[in-house]
Amino acid sequence: MCENEDDIITVGKYVIIKKQNFKKIYKVATNGILTLGRDTVQMHEIIGKTFWTTFEMIPVKKGKRTYFLKEVLETESLNDLLSELPSGNDNRTIVDDGTSQKLSKEEILRLQESGKTGKEIVGSLIENNKSFLDRTEYSQEKYLKKKEQKYLRYITIWKPNISLLHDVYFQLDHNKIGNLRMDSLSQLLSYSDVQSDGLYILYDSGSHGMPAAAMLNRIGANTEGHLINLHPGNVPQLALVNAMNFPREQLDRLINVNIYSFLRLYYQGESAVLDKISKKVHNNCINKIKENESKNDDESLVNNEISQIEETDMKEGNLNNINESNDKVEHSTNGSLKRKRDESDTHEAVKVTVVKKPKWLMETQYAVELVKGSKARGLVIVAKEHPLNIVTALLPFLGFSRPFAIYHAHREPLQETYMMLKQKQNVINLRLLSNFLRSYQVLPDRTHPDILTSDTGGYLLSGYLVQ
Amino acid sequence: MSFNKVKEFIEEGDVIILYLGHNNMHSLEIKAKIPNKNGEMVDNVFQTKYGALKVFSLVGHKYGTKKKLSRGWAYVLQPTPELWTLTVPHRTQIIYSPDISLILHLMDLVPGSIVIETGTGSGSLSHALIRVIRPHGHLFTFDFHEQRVNIAQAEFEKHGLSKFVSSSCKDVCIEGFGKELETKADAIFLDLPHPWLAIDYAVSTLKKSGGKLCSFSPCIEQVQRTCAKLISKGFIELNTYECLQREVHVQYKNLPILNLECLQYENVDKDMAQESENEKQEVKLLTAMHARSLPGHTGFITIATLPPFHVRKMEINLKSKD
Ligand SMILES: C[S@@+](CC[C@H](N)C(=O)[O-])C[C@H]1O[C@@H](n2cnc3c(N)ncnc32)[C@H](O)[C@@H]1O
Repeated sequence: MCENEDDIITVGKYVIIKKQNFKKIYKVATNGILTLGRDTVQMHEIIGKTFWTTFEMIPVKKGKRTYFLKEVLETESLNDLLSELPSGNDNRTIVDDGTSQKLSKEEILRLQESGKTGKEIVGSLIENNKSFLDRTEYSQEKYLKKKEQKYLRYITIWKPNISLLHDVYFQLDHNKIGNLRMDSLSQLLSYSDVQSDGLYILYDSGSHGMPAAAMLNRIGANTEGHLINLHPGNVPQLALVNAMNFPREQLDRLINVNIYSFLRLYYQGESAVLDKISKKVHNNCINKIKENESKNDDESLVNNEISQIEETDMKEGNLNNINESNDKVEHSTNGSLKRKRDESDTHEAVKVTVVKKPKWLMETQYAVELVKGSKARGLVIVAKEHPLNIVTALLPFLGFSRPFAIYHAHREPLQETYMMLKQKQNVINLRLLSNFLRSYQVLPDRTHPDILTSDTGGYLLSGYLVQ
Repeated sequence: MSFNKVKEFIEEGDVIILYLGHNNMHSLEIKAKIPNKNGEMVDNVFQTKYGALKVFSLVGHKYGTKKKLSRGWAYVLQPTPELWTLTVPHRTQIIYSPDISLILHLMDLVPGSIVIETGTGSGSLSHALIRVIRPHGHLFTFDFHEQRVNIAQAEFEKHGLSKFVSSSCKDVCIEGFGKELETKADAIFLDLPHPWLAIDYAVSTLKKSGGKLCSFSPCIEQVQRTCAKLISKGFIELNTYECLQREVHVQYKNLPILNLECLQYENVDKDMAQESENEKQEVKLLTAMHARSLPGHTGFITIATLPPFHVRKMEINLKSKD
């Protein structure tokens, strides 16, 4: 069996709960509760078990839809019900008048609440179904699959990985990950050449951290690579990064930074950034926007930076931890970088007496140091906004001969970006792409494309930066 | 040595991509002399439509910059697996980047993964596999065609990748992947005419803790036989996909505007229709168009999961009970 610590389910880890075709992400807690539709499941039984363990949901009390879990070694499957029945017919005699099931809704509900196993319930459903025997074998199988989904109460615990997490989100609500279908996501990773070493830059305006998680996954554990994750909001969206259970060491090489703070710090230096904040704090956030800066930009920036300060104040205990781990990374990657930062720390401590250096500023400084130390090896933009200004602002950080890839749910903004970049003549091999993906049902003599296919894969613009 | 780290300047021995245009790219090795047809060493000169390029003169040239040719210029790029796939000398059919990307995603590869590939073919997929599993992982790639194995191996060496890959000549459908690799692999990829013949070996080669098997086949009959075999061997979560990439061509177009409204009214002076003929109105529009033809089919990608050993046994027990 598995002795590896990574394979044990422990408190604080994210896991994937699989019940038939349904999957859900769950964070393991000491007395955790999971809701599955109308069912409530007490989850503490999974702690200490290995991934891939299967549990049966057993009602705490007859008639209640609250369950506790019991580890099982064997699961029952409805398929053996089929072999107990005479095999199917053709369907010429079936008339759908809504009366084929003799059991009423209430009777079925009573069966469920009586504590009968899923198999027993489906057995009664079949017994009381006039037309079941008249169905084709194929349709009997399909019927059972559907009932299995509804009445069998087994869950299996899986370890999260990118393809599973993507699947969960894409099935549940693909809007949450910016409609980023797996073929588009996988091509973003290829066309940005992300791998274990080098510096990568990502701009993502909100996909629950899907691209960041996927890129950090490709950068890997115990490697040299770094990822700067630029975001426009108050806090980065990191749900899926967290769900990957990355080790601390790997997470420390993901630097989440507000894009406005990053660019301001890079071009104007620290005093500009700090001035900006203290001024705004004193003005009590009610701001007259200067003419030369776009309204949105300024407003959201101020809100960001202030809320980030508050956040840091609240979590002061955490701050030290993070500093420590940051320093560790620097040690392993670049000794001189750390020294430089220590100097600037003491230097700033004298100058900035009112505002304590918040975590976001440290992170932003780290990001700026990284881009000053080396050009990025790849650039990815997953934008809800118009991507042109974003790519224009970020291309200077990319190395020559290095690739970039931009994703957008719509074609038109990429079309315009394509034209503008083409006219600037510092990129080559520009390609605007869209993909067609479909999945197949593969069965003996019954293979065909799945009836339903996603038709919103979005668009990709890829190219290489040249001088 | 140009795949394993980012370089600023071209050195002797590098493999570079000469970019002359969208569909006009070539990979060149930076050497002073190359053998000609008769095996004599001659100056390494590459002919392009913009004039001849003395390849060795690129030494010291900066990657990502222009190189002047007699009738134009070219860009010199450092290769990526994607550029390599577009320029690799074909010894076989190859897999292209859209399918490669999906394959890497579905196999859940990360730095450190141990992955097996067969057949090596032209090594198009191999380069992308090595990129993902570097630096701690390893690719074991097999082909039963000796010359292809040797050429691929020579390319891995030239590209500075030999540390991360072992290639061997073997008929995997008869000999399997070898004793040394038993219970070692995180993922196995098959691009074979008879993938189902390799699946028995795949089961014993994947790790005890389970793993992924991915198969690429152009024909649906191959997919059906492969899936049947996979299910009988305890693989679960089978999915088959097809992915086609379409390129969109972006262009400004001038669209004439017809003035038809004037025709509803009687015209006193002259024929308005005639007039609009003379001074045509136009609107400039940014347009997008799909290519006239595209590869309408490449192959079906099948992915399957082999559960950990202890769970696998449980399912086999259930089977035998039936
Ligand atoms: C289509 S090519 C693979 C192309 C490769 N995926 C690429 O992207 O370059 C298939 C290869 O499988 C090899 N092959 C076929 N049957 C084999 C077998 N039984 N054992 C090992 N190699 C085999 C062939 O020699 C051929 O080179």
